[in-house]
Amino acid sequence: MILFDRVTKMYPNKQIALSGLNLHIQPKEFVTIVGASGAGKSTLIKLLTREEVQSSGKIIVGGLDYDTIVYKNVPHLRRRIGVVFQDFKLLPSRNVYENVAFALEVAGASNREIKRSVPRVLQLVGLSGKEKNFPRELSGGERQRVAIARALVRQPKILVADEPTGNLDPGNAWEIIELLLKINRFGTTVLLTTHNKEIVNALKRRVITIQRGRIIKDEEQGKYAL
Amino acid sequence: MINPLTAARITKTGLHNFARNAWLSTAATAVMTITLTLVAVSYVATVALNSTIKEVVGKIDVSVYLKDSATPEQIKALKVKLEQTDNVQGVTLVSKADALKQYREQNKDNPKLLEAVNETDNPLPASLQIKAKDPNKLDPITAVVNQPEYKPLLAEREPISYSGDRKATIDRIIQTSNFFKATGLAASVVFVIISTLIIFNTIRMAIFTRREEIEIMKLVGATNWYIRGPFIFEAALYGIIAAFIAIAFTYTVILNGAPKLGNYVDTAIIVSLLKDNALVVVLALLALGILIGTASSMVALKRYLKL
Repeated sequence: MILFDRVTKMYPNKQIALSGLNLHIQPKEFVTIVGASGAGKSTLIKLLTREEVQSSGKIIVGGLDYDTIVYKNVPHLRRRIGVVFQDFKLLPSRNVYENVAFALEVAGASNREIKRSVPRVLQLVGLSGKEKNFPRELSGGERQRVAIARALVRQPKILVADEPTGNLDPGNAWEIIELLLKINRFGTTVLLTTHNKEIVNALKRRVITIQRGRIIKDEEQGKYAL
Repeated sequence: MINPLTAARITKTGLHNFARNAWLSTAATAVMTITLTLVAVSYVATVALNSTIKEVVGKIDVSVYLKDSATPEQIKALKVKLEQTDNVQGVTLVSKADALKQYREQNKDNPKLLEAVNETDNPLPASLQIKAKDPNKLDPITAVVNQPEYKPLLAEREPISYSGDRKATIDRIIQTSNFFKATGLAASVVFVIISTLIIFNTIRMAIFTRREEIEIMKLVGATNWYIRGPFIFEAALYGIIAAFIAIAFTYTVILNGAPKLGNYVDTAIIVSLLKDNALVVVLALLALGILIGTASSMVALKRYLKL
């Protein structure tokens, strides 16, 4: 599903964020990436969403070689990967329904399609009945659910969750993780980055540990080891 | 290329943003309105002045006064010669009797002047009234008249008249109206530049205030044109609204004010320009407004929107 082959990313200030990283993630896997701040987790995700371009090496996602993507088609690539962030990134002036619908609108989906898909995905994340609420009226956990709903509404093959529980209390954090596991059971590849030791240890899924731009550990049913 | 649904969504977002930044939108629209009004008024004024000048200039005749001793054949020869001369539109012979008739007509309210002339002792000379195509180039006419073979035919006192002193006045009118035309053009250009800069800045601020939204749009896979579209539409909207206000203003003021100016300039042409060519005027102002809006917003987007 996701293949990084000797990927190196050097920023213009000569700082090396990733060096010769090899990574292979199978379809329908649930992978947790751990690492200290500045280890290269964010860079990995930015390369995946093509916000950054690798300095060398090869990235192939869902059979698509990133070297062959022209600038114009980057938006189409992004529609195939759902991304969720620590700070939710919701539009404050739009309510829950509109925030989720937005992802379909920009992709040119028909109104009928939007009316059909949005309630379905809101039900999946457990937000039925909150359609008309604005982000400021929701708890952190609910906001993250909206963000997940928005990422999922286009049925991406891959969901990237970048520190999705970073701003949440433990109870809410677990609910989000459980939601991610549920999504994974439905067949979506999930890539989670986190600092939360309890979560990683409790998940008992594949854990990849990154340090200074390199993978230092890659274990099935791994533990948090930093 | 762009499907109607996407176009509708871009339009909707643009309208929404326009309303959300009410103050910035108002300022940008106001400057654009001033600009378009200025352009419209200065164009109308140029047309009116040109037409007025043409009319005034059309009234300039060159009169060649003839000696009473000149024979009809000689006069005819001179007339033919003049008709063949460059820059001559037409030549009319005014005989002594015609001249007397005109004189009487012009002075019918002044019995004293009428007494001074009568049929038997008509002091008025016959003349050739020459209408020039371009009143600024009378030299060829003068040259013909001054040729040795025609010179003896001319009256001794003031043989050639350029419609009295009117030429000097007309020159001044032309100079003044050229000055107004140049001023109007310069002011229009200056205001086009000012409104371009203001809209550029408005869009720049809009990009800044909406950077979070833009980031999210990118994140969810909006195409670059989907992100740019609303900004461009918003700027075009300034132009569209401004054009309509400018049109309303120009029509109201000029059509109401025209009768009062009737004594000085050719207002009929203004009225016909605005009324008969209403569609052209409206479309031209709309096009100019939209052009200024889209062009300046595109530059701002290119500069400040990193996609």
